[in-house]
Amino acid sequence: MTPPKDFTATVGSDMRVSQRRVLFVTRRTSPQVKTYDEERVQTFPEVLIRALLAIECMVIALVLMSLLFNAPLEGIANPTNTPNPAKAPWYFLGLQEMLHYFPPVVAGVLIPGLLIIALIVIPYFDINIEAEGLFLKNRQQRLRLSMIVAGALTIFLWFFDVYVALAPTVFVAALLVLAAFSTPESPSRFRRYLALRPISWWIMTWFLIELFVLTAVGTYFRGPGWSWVWPWRS
Amino acid sequence: MPSTIETYFDKLERTRMWRSIFRSGRGSSTLHNALAIQQNVFLHLFPTKVRKRMVGLEATWYLGTLTLGTFIILVVTGVLLMLYYHPSVPQAYSDVKDLQFVVSSGLFLRNLHRWSAHAMVFLAFAHMFRVFYRGAYRAPREFNWVVGVVLLLVTLLLSYTGYLLPWDQLAYWAITVGTNISSAVPLIGDKIHFLLLGGNQVNANALLRFYVLHCVILPLTAVLFLAVHFWRIRKDGGLYVRESEPGTAGAQPQPASEERKKL
Amino acid sequence: MQTHKTGFISSCKAFVRDPFRMFGIVSVVVLLLLTIAPAKDYLSEWHGYQRQYLNFIRNRGDAITLRRHFVGGIHQIWIPQLDVVDRCETCHVGLTEASLADVKEQPFRAHPVMPHKLTEFGCVICHRGQGAATTVNEAHHSKMAGEEPILPARYMESSCGQCHQGPLEGTPKLNRGRVMLSRYGCVSCHSISLPDGTKLEATDNPPPLSHIADKTTREWIYAWLKDPTSYSPSATMPNFGLSDADASDISAFLIANSVPQPGDQIALPAQGHGPEPDPAAGASLYGESFCASCHATQNAAGNLVGGDLGPELTNVGTKVKPEWLLGWMRDPQKYDPSTPMPQYRWTDAQLKVIAGYVQSKSNPDLLANVHLAPATRAQIAHGKQLVTEYGCASCHEIRGVPKPDNFGPNLSRIGSKPVVQLVFLPDMEHSLPAYLTQKIREPRSFGSTFRMPRYNFTPSQVEAVTTALLSLTDRSYSLPLSLQVPGMRETKYQPAGQAGQIMTNLNCLSCHRINGHGGDMAPDLSWEGSSVQRQWLDEFLKNPNTLRPALIRRMPKFNLTDAERTTLTDYMMTVYQTSSFQRDEMPLTGYTPEQIEKGRQLFYSKYACQSCHMVNPNEDKGYIGPTLTKVGARLNAAWIFHYLKDPQAMRPGTIEPNQHMSDDDARALTAFLMAQKTGAGQGAK
Repeated sequence: MTPPKDFTATVGSDMRVSQRRVLFVTRRTSPQVKTYDEERVQTFPEVLIRALLAIECMVIALVLMSLLFNAPLEGIANPTNTPNPAKAPWYFLGLQEMLHYFPPVVAGVLIPGLLIIALIVIPYFDINIEAEGLFLKNRQQRLRLSMIVAGALTIFLWFFDVYVALAPTVFVAALLVLAAFSTPESPSRFRRYLALRPISWWIMTWFLIELFVLTAVGTYFRGPGWSWVWPWRS
Repeated sequence: MPSTIETYFDKLERTRMWRSIFRSGRGSSTLHNALAIQQNVFLHLFPTKVRKRMVGLEATWYLGTLTLGTFIILVVTGVLLMLYYHPSVPQAYSDVKDLQFVVSSGLFLRNLHRWSAHAMVFLAFAHMFRVFYRGAYRAPREFNWVVGVVLLLVTLLLSYTGYLLPWDQLAYWAITVGTNISSAVPLIGDKIHFLLLGGNQVNANALLRFYVLHCVILPLTAVLFLAVHFWRIRKDGGLYVRESEPGTAGAQPQPASEERKKL
Repeated sequence: MQTHKTGFISSCKAFVRDPFRMFGIVSVVVLLLLTIAPAKDYLSEWHGYQRQYLNFIRNRGDAITLRRHFVGGIHQIWIPQLDVVDRCETCHVGLTEASLADVKEQPFRAHPVMPHKLTEFGCVICHRGQGAATTVNEAHHSKMAGEEPILPARYMESSCGQCHQGPLEGTPKLNRGRVMLSRYGCVSCHSISLPDGTKLEATDNPPPLSHIADKTTREWIYAWLKDPTSYSPSATMPNFGLSDADASDISAFLIANSVPQPGDQIALPAQGHGPEPDPAAGASLYGESFCASCHATQNAAGNLVGGDLGPELTNVGTKVKPEWLLGWMRDPQKYDPSTPMPQYRWTDAQLKVIAGYVQSKSNPDLLANVHLAPATRAQIAHGKQLVTEYGCASCHEIRGVPKPDNFGPNLSRIGSKPVVQLVFLPDMEHSLPAYLTQKIREPRSFGSTFRMPRYNFTPSQVEAVTTALLSLTDRSYSLPLSLQVPGMRETKYQPAGQAGQIMTNLNCLSCHRINGHGGDMAPDLSWEGSSVQRQWLDEFLKNPNTLRPALIRRMPKFNLTDAERTTLTDYMMTVYQTSSFQRDEMPLTGYTPEQIEKGRQLFYSKYACQSCHMVNPNEDKGYIGPTLTKVGARLNAAWIFHYLKDPQAMRPGTIEPNQHMSDDDARALTAFLMAQKTGAGQGAK
């Protein structure tokens, strides 16, 4: 017995000889057309089962966590008794940390607003699409430019005493310099990797590290009056 | 033993009721599997086929899937929690206390909701960064990236509005600190602050407002954008694969003509 | 073997790689987990305690009854109007089982007998803690904002004070603490108001310091400031822990700031030094005047004997100047218009004797080591600054230093202060009672910059004050008004007219209470005119003799002139009458022998009055109540009748039992008592 064919092409009963259907295929409309094809699997059941499996594993983790750790609940809200420090949820602590350094209109409105806009426009900048190593072309010029940007950012953060955000900036700048003096042929794997990173990668990585450091500092290193505390000291 | 189960399944699939519900018909052929996706109102958002090398864990880490998973947990536990909760002062707080102390499994429900909410925020961020580093935002997926950013914001707002609902000190002051930032918006800051809270400070009006946002407006928005998000995965050509990337076993790019010859 | 092992591993790998099998297994795990999630409830503490309880009662004799009473699950007392949701009974299962009263093992002991019903007030109102919680830690120890940990049992009386603003019989500690708050001048610096809006007033009568140089020396002030208890162990003045220099500067300022008051001092008699020392006559006059009713002195054994209304006099000769003492004895109100000391009408000779006697009570060693250099201007200025900084004017009147408002923090709701708002010392229990105790015992231990002085309190006194402070809670404000039991409200009553002047002069209200104002040392005089016969009152004022010979405190003899006495008697007989009956509605004499005999029988048999009272001093042995041997010459017949009918209505708080007598019985007893005129036990067998 031969396996059944996936599709059977027949001529529809409504077809008329005099008409032709033409399909125009362009580069940027769906479905995307590629010049090559590759092995595919059926979504049902192969992918679906794996997705469910992944979700189930997460459910196990979350259920175990719920059984072992209780969600925090403090005393009833009391407008006359301000806890010190009053902290926002953890995912906003990066912002709250910025609020400590900059006026609210900058830290609370300008920075998050610009961030959202930046995130939205990412795919519309061709600079992101190039995906070439930053220093593979015009190395001298680009190195100078990136050092100017990094330097300006450093001075700016220094001027406002934002040492918490300064450290990641200096760190990323150091990596940039390392990348500039690396080539895709470097003996070190790490330097080969850095040499191939495009500009968008550098910006996003800087942002990611800043986000992580600021959130961690806001969560663990801030005590009464938003002063610096060591979490293991209390 | 397995054969008996299979027989039962077989019988079940033959019943009129089963057939009336699942339109894909019997069988496990490629066609049937494709129909199972296409003919299902929920699943038809997804592509019927996925590149084999995108199925592995290392390609996506299943971060998007897991984010959806947390969302589903949150909807289920959230609806159950709503059964015990009054958005009023100070009843809200004692309701949460009652959940903790007397409602059967109430503490478990609240824990699960809380931890899943944190997990969802974390996973949404992780998903975004993963997509970025994979370069999966590139054309023609630009708009789906934007939808994703919107979903991230909705997720943050969902978590943030939910934060106030227990009406404890943590909630009250987190929301006070957060909403005070909105006053800093030039010119209309105070108006926005007033609009957010339904007053000039966090009080019963704010609680009601956040409750409605948390339980009705934001979840509906999330579902809407999730649908678009999934639909666009399919329409934008399935999960993104980097052309430079070597595929998994036997998936080297081949000219389409050769592929067809094989069949 | 080797191949087998490899085969096993690879089949494991294959198994793990097969998502369908994995899915099956993980699904089972998820289902299992979701099934056992409710076990979190079953493993909860209260379930454990209920199981423990069932085990505990199993071996008891009353197991069947207890088992029948037991109902599993969460129990709660819900009183919406009091905001009470108390689930304590969930774990404290045997709370209402009388047979479990002596159980050692908590949480199963029955609650001791209490004045309120459990179902009417719940648990948390008295014990604090978090009633809604069903875990020990949350219910007993939660200190988060708005939640109070369980109140230690030794402060339990404070909870009564949330509703009961007046003294209660069962709460001696609370009553004592409340008195101390006023008595030691706490409320002079810390304002404390009660839920009904009244403010606690200080009762310590701190002397004014504007004319202090008339009274005493800079050396004494210095020694007193350094340590008040070295002069007088019963001093209500606290110790400010002043340095030598600071004490010297303050004393310099007080002396320099003092202005002489005409009449404060009387020139001493020419012959002899100071008042005449005549120990025998002095002691006798001191006794006759009942100075010890108000002033204490240390006896040979070192114990304080006497009242505490006035200052201790053990070493007073070291303190006061002889010429000031004479002036004070003649007219105390000249120096201090608000003094509770009455003006005795002593003759000049008597004055000399009594002042000499008091002056002789001295201890020269006290000031032997005090040598102060003359004060400089800078010292005086610094002294004034210190006086302002330490808030001396909160209690004392000092010329040129205004009384500061709210010098210390307001304590009206101190009993509900959240623990999170307190700053604790290292190694200190983190609880409000512990904080208050430490703050009262050693105020400066929280930092040398704190101004609060240290009182020389015994541990039980500290506990009493802490209890009183803990009763000042937020809850006492939020409870329904119907639950509030106000205390005796102090009125501003002042007697008027000429008699009023005499009474003010004699400071009758220091000891007697009239119309809600005055002391509690002597009988309430509000209805004295209805209660006694005019002639008796007149005699009594001329020569007071006590009705209860066992008491130390007695009415002193004031040497009133006839005119003064008549004025007073007329006024009291006319003004201090009750509206509940007519004074003359029953005759003072003329009762028939039958009536008297019937009364006698009732007195000795039916009501057995002789167990507390005496009518026939030769036979009766009742010492608890006042002696009635001459009651017929003292009390008014109508008063006796109505008093017998309802003693508490005539004298609130009296221990005389209400026998619910019929009118006939009361009338007969009145006849019998009115016959007791000479003290011979008329009509008594």
